[in-house]
Amino acid sequence: MKKRFPSWTLGLLGILLLILVPVLYFLPRAQSKNDPAAYLPEKLVHVDHKDIVQGEFKTGQDVTRACLECHEDAAAAVMKTTHWTWESKAFDVPWRDEDVTIGKANQINNFCIGSQGNENKCMACHAGYGWEEGRETQQANPENVDCLACHADTGAYGKGLFGNPAEGVDLLAAAQSVRAPTRENCGKCHFDGGGGNGVKHGDLDESLYFPDENLDVHMGGELDMQCTDCHWTEDHQILGRMVADNYTIDPKEQVSCEQCHVNQQHEDERINTHLSSVACQTCHVPALALEDPTKVTWDWSQAGQEGREDDHFTYLKIKGEFVYDKNFAPTYLWFNGNNEYRYILGDPLGKDGITYINKPAGSIEDATAKIFPFKLHIANQPYDVKNNYLLQPVTAGKDGFWTTFDWNSAFELAAPITGLAYSGEYDFTETYMYWATTHMVQPADKALQCDSCHSANSRMDWAALGYPGDPIEWGGR
Amino acid sequence: MKRYTLITIIGLSLLTLAFGISTVLAAPTVAPVEKASTLHPNFILLDADGVNVLESGKAVSTMQTCGQCHDTEFIATHAFHSDLGLSDYNNSSNGSWNASTGSFGEWDPLTYRFLSQDGDERLDLSTAEWLMLYGDRVVGGGPATTSRDGEALTDLPTSKSNPETAILNEGGTASVWNWDKSGTMEMNCFLCHLENPNTEARSEAIHAGEFGNANTATLLSLNIVSDGGEGWVWNAEAFNEAGELKSEVIGIQDPTNANCATCHGEVHPETEEALTLNACDLNYPQTATTGQVVSGQRINESGVNLSGKNDVARSWDIHAERQLQCTDCHYALNNPAHASELQSNNPEHLVYDPRSLEISEYLERPDHNVARGESAQFNVAPEYKGTMRRCENCHDYSKGHADWLPYIETHMDAVACETCHIPQMYAPAIQTYDWTVITLDGKALETCRGVEGNPNEVTSLVTGYEPVLLNRTNIDGDTLLAPYNLITSFYWVYDDANGNKRPVRLVDLEAAYLENGDYAADILQVFDANGDGMLGSDELRINSPAKEEIVKEKLGALGLNNPRIEGMVQPYSINHSVTRGENALNECKSCHNADSRVAQSIKLADSVPSGITPDFDINNNVNGSGDFVTDENGALYYQPTPVDDDMYVFGSSRVSWIDWLGALMFAGTLFGVAGHGTMRYFSSRKQAKGHARTERIYMYDAYRRFWHWLQTTSIVILLFTGLIIHRPDIFGAFSFRGVVTVHNVVAVVLVINALLSIFYHIATARMQEYIPRPYGFFDDAIVQAKYYMTGIFKGEGHPFEKRPDNRMNPIQKATYFGILNVLLPLQMLTGALMWGVQKFPQVANLFGGLTFLAPFHSLIAWTFATFIVGHVYMTTTGATPLEAMRGMVTGYEEVEIHAKDEG
Repeated sequence: MKKRFPSWTLGLLGILLLILVPVLYFLPRAQSKNDPAAYLPEKLVHVDHKDIVQGEFKTGQDVTRACLECHEDAAAAVMKTTHWTWESKAFDVPWRDEDVTIGKANQINNFCIGSQGNENKCMACHAGYGWEEGRETQQANPENVDCLACHADTGAYGKGLFGNPAEGVDLLAAAQSVRAPTRENCGKCHFDGGGGNGVKHGDLDESLYFPDENLDVHMGGELDMQCTDCHWTEDHQILGRMVADNYTIDPKEQVSCEQCHVNQQHEDERINTHLSSVACQTCHVPALALEDPTKVTWDWSQAGQEGREDDHFTYLKIKGEFVYDKNFAPTYLWFNGNNEYRYILGDPLGKDGITYINKPAGSIEDATAKIFPFKLHIANQPYDVKNNYLLQPVTAGKDGFWTTFDWNSAFELAAPITGLAYSGEYDFTETYMYWATTHMVQPADKALQCDSCHSANSRMDWAALGYPGDPIEWGGR
Repeated sequence: MKRYTLITIIGLSLLTLAFGISTVLAAPTVAPVEKASTLHPNFILLDADGVNVLESGKAVSTMQTCGQCHDTEFIATHAFHSDLGLSDYNNSSNGSWNASTGSFGEWDPLTYRFLSQDGDERLDLSTAEWLMLYGDRVVGGGPATTSRDGEALTDLPTSKSNPETAILNEGGTASVWNWDKSGTMEMNCFLCHLENPNTEARSEAIHAGEFGNANTATLLSLNIVSDGGEGWVWNAEAFNEAGELKSEVIGIQDPTNANCATCHGEVHPETEEALTLNACDLNYPQTATTGQVVSGQRINESGVNLSGKNDVARSWDIHAERQLQCTDCHYALNNPAHASELQSNNPEHLVYDPRSLEISEYLERPDHNVARGESAQFNVAPEYKGTMRRCENCHDYSKGHADWLPYIETHMDAVACETCHIPQMYAPAIQTYDWTVITLDGKALETCRGVEGNPNEVTSLVTGYEPVLLNRTNIDGDTLLAPYNLITSFYWVYDDANGNKRPVRLVDLEAAYLENGDYAADILQVFDANGDGMLGSDELRINSPAKEEIVKEKLGALGLNNPRIEGMVQPYSINHSVTRGENALNECKSCHNADSRVAQSIKLADSVPSGITPDFDINNNVNGSGDFVTDENGALYYQPTPVDDDMYVFGSSRVSWIDWLGALMFAGTLFGVAGHGTMRYFSSRKQAKGHARTERIYMYDAYRRFWHWLQTTSIVILLFTGLIIHRPDIFGAFSFRGVVTVHNVVAVVLVINALLSIFYHIATARMQEYIPRPYGFFDDAIVQAKYYMTGIFKGEGHPFEKRPDNRMNPIQKATYFGILNVLLPLQMLTGALMWGVQKFPQVANLFGGLTFLAPFHSLIAWTFATFIVGHVYMTTTGATPLEAMRGMVTGYEEVEIHAKDEG
């Protein structure tokens, strides 16, 4: 019987093994590249809803009902998110006896100050309809969920008063245009927050609709990344928390560079020695408001001047005086991801003349903290002289400040809504609000260099950060 | 120790206070502005007589002022920056035109003007004019105050025939220089120790010959002093009640990069502001001569119009980027902060000697001889060569290269760090200075490399250049390839009345060429080829005997004896503008390829006046071999020939006759077997088949076959990979590094296989099969040869029987004996030695080093390739063409049966 394999094939195999095994063992291997793009979420295939969505829509709620026919759980899921509640979970803060929640719904910032009583305007950025019914009724009704705000083509949809669709919107066309949210959907509110393009963040503005690579390496690069590529979303829960509207943030709820840049080290070991003390953003977000300017100060006390000419970037009668800045270095603070303090309505003013709307937590002693870039927004905003707390005016509407230019009536009107008594005496005080900046990311060759921080013209205030001197000479922590 | 502790405590508390104050005052968004150290106390400004300038209204004396606390005499006598060659100035310099090792006495063909020696026939540069011309970059003291014999310049008896007290007038005549009137220039502490020295005002004073005012002028525009026309007006507000200058107005500090840049070249500490270059400008000598730029700015963010700039995101200099200061490597030699580096003379057992200067002792007498390397400004202060921290004093190359560079030691023994870490200059540098002709504004014909067009025009495209690699012998005796720029200069020389060779003076050159601000008529007649009355760049060069003759005649008419053209090639060492690994030369093929960086030539001159060959300046530590090569356009190149320096670079170096011989051998055999085979084919058709009786015999046992085929496979792989290593330019698809690894690993497999087979052969006593029987060997061999030449074509049987115990015919035995016992071991040995160069280079050197071993290895490789052709062909001469091959695979072979009594 002939053997299936002649015995010499065994020898051949042996020879090949004897050569290949040692060669492969010693062959220099290319370092396996850890491709961050591999970690991007998989996109669902787009389903054109043109032929699916029918029927006459008179109100936004009509559209939502149609959506819910197929996406049965969607409204319930949305209603668990802060996009709906505008309010954080409850925090136990040391300066208050009872737990507090923070959000646009119930707290203030130092831009347009607060939404309570101003729902007709502010809710143009809420993912829901029907705010004319009042908060409780509005929040209880799943049909008030505004699917279109995030899913319609922004060219076919817009929001008007009390969160309802703007007048004249073709709701059928809008509903037929739905798809996964794009930068345009998110940008409508997040690029224009605070009342206009680039006002709030400094690292988010309308220039990101059509970014080039030099503006943001992620959104402008080859990958043309959308917000949801980093802000991973499941059941309408979107990853990422606004630092200013929280007290502490579970890292699991926050977006991080390491989501995609897994185990990625710099080739330059010297840079890697920074990683325990310096956030990625510090070097890779070297400047803010690269193309469109952002608001850095806002003086409400100048509002309401008769006869002074309005100018979008310096003065508006309804809002007061501003300073916008562009392409400027951020403010650097130690930051562990939480706030050390967040102003809660009714809190007293700061003792040293500055009231912090929020104050990032962290110090050189805090091993979990890293040096992080912030946009600091300084405002001069109203407070109650007798009660020593910040005031929230009613601005919008026919009785609001923007119509009457009467602060007293604006505060009186707000008092029953916010539940904070108004003594009748107001003045203005300086407030600081810190915005963690993490967009407009620059690639390595545009990132900060050694001398940006370690030189005579350093952008770091080493003493303020708690170092005895430049750590390049005095040693790091 | 107590004083030291006290000073430290005071210093720290001052610093803490400063930080405290700045913390309190600083707004959160504003970074603090770092001021020069405020530790320096207020002090009285004294004039040369030791009187407070506030009272005397005179110029400040740095020696007196700083001498109140610091030992200025010690400082001035311990500073080669001040000395500039004066201390070893040799008036009787045996006719050499170099009277010292410093810029005071050594002739530089670029700056051209010659510092006349005492007794020279013609006065060119007197001491005073030397100072006026070059004083911008003379720190003072040394030759600016002291004569060549060590007297004060002001004490010299005046004579216009003494180059120390004369000055050359415009007409070419000499007159007396009055040092008492001009004053002399003390070592200028302000120049290097002030935050903002007024170098412009200082230069103005120097160029005007007001040397005594130069140091005071350095303080202008600091609101300390102003020029009152008749004298100095000291601003009382800058002084306190005690008459002391307030230290904060003057900003005393350690020398910064900007201070060093005043004299040395382009330094750019402000990275916010786009860097622009002063290229090929001898006021920035280090940049002009090499293209070195010290700046942490990214090159693509600079203002240089550089070709392909957007892709160059590296910084101009990694050390500047990392915030190193010049003084971090070039430190004061007795600075106790660098004590550990200064202890090279410690006894072997003593790693660190804690005894060093106290900080206060150091501040009183800081050695102003700064640590220096050994290459740039080669001749200056030879006693301090190699005192500086070098690359390897800070960097451990064995760690930095461990994970990727093979043969680390081999590379480090042959190549200086700079070679790979300064792969490219991004600024232009001087290529040629041709002083044999002269432009209308009295300059040489200057050519720059690394730029298209004039070097400092915004429209010119800067291309940069790749430095040439030359062998450099370091102070420790190591010879390494290092990057250089080569600058070539051509100039006229003459023999003066004393029989000394001197460069022709600029005034004489101008007299020969120019007349009333234009070229002389007789010069134009010969030079102006197109007759337009102007000399274009093609015309203004000595490229014909007629041109040379007319200039020679005119120089002769000026009384210059034997005027003639000479040329010199000077190497300028490149040590700055370093880049980190990712931008360094890190591809094997940069060097291991046909167009290797190691043998890359560099252009010396676009044209050579009178076709002379310049001399390579030997007055330095560059000693590589190379040739001057002229191309078809008359441009002159320098072509390094590293092979002549015992440097064999795989993939680049080869010995062509060996390759030719090997290829000939290989092709000859191929041709031979092809012919033989063809003849066999045709002759076999005429013969009846199956004429010989055959039988199937178990010829090769399993191990024998295994051993054979493993050897075959490894040899074929080794030949192929060896060929790629030898000629990577042909096999571009392969990674050089990978192929080298395969070659080495398979070689080890081959060696192990060979050793085991030897054991097998000895153990089984089969070795003797390979040993030709001495008795009757030649007869048998002739019989076998005859068979191959005639019998095989006639269908005759093999003359010798092939049996398991005697498988080989005499020729086979001889061939295999040679291949397996001579060539294979030799190839293994040479290969092992070549591999061992990285570990035990001395062993390889015993056998002639790589330059012998590598070509020898190639030659044997060729013989192996040749053998394989012959061997494979011979296997086809069995019972049937494939029978022998089958035998080696299966073990069983059909062989001819010979009568028992035969053979």
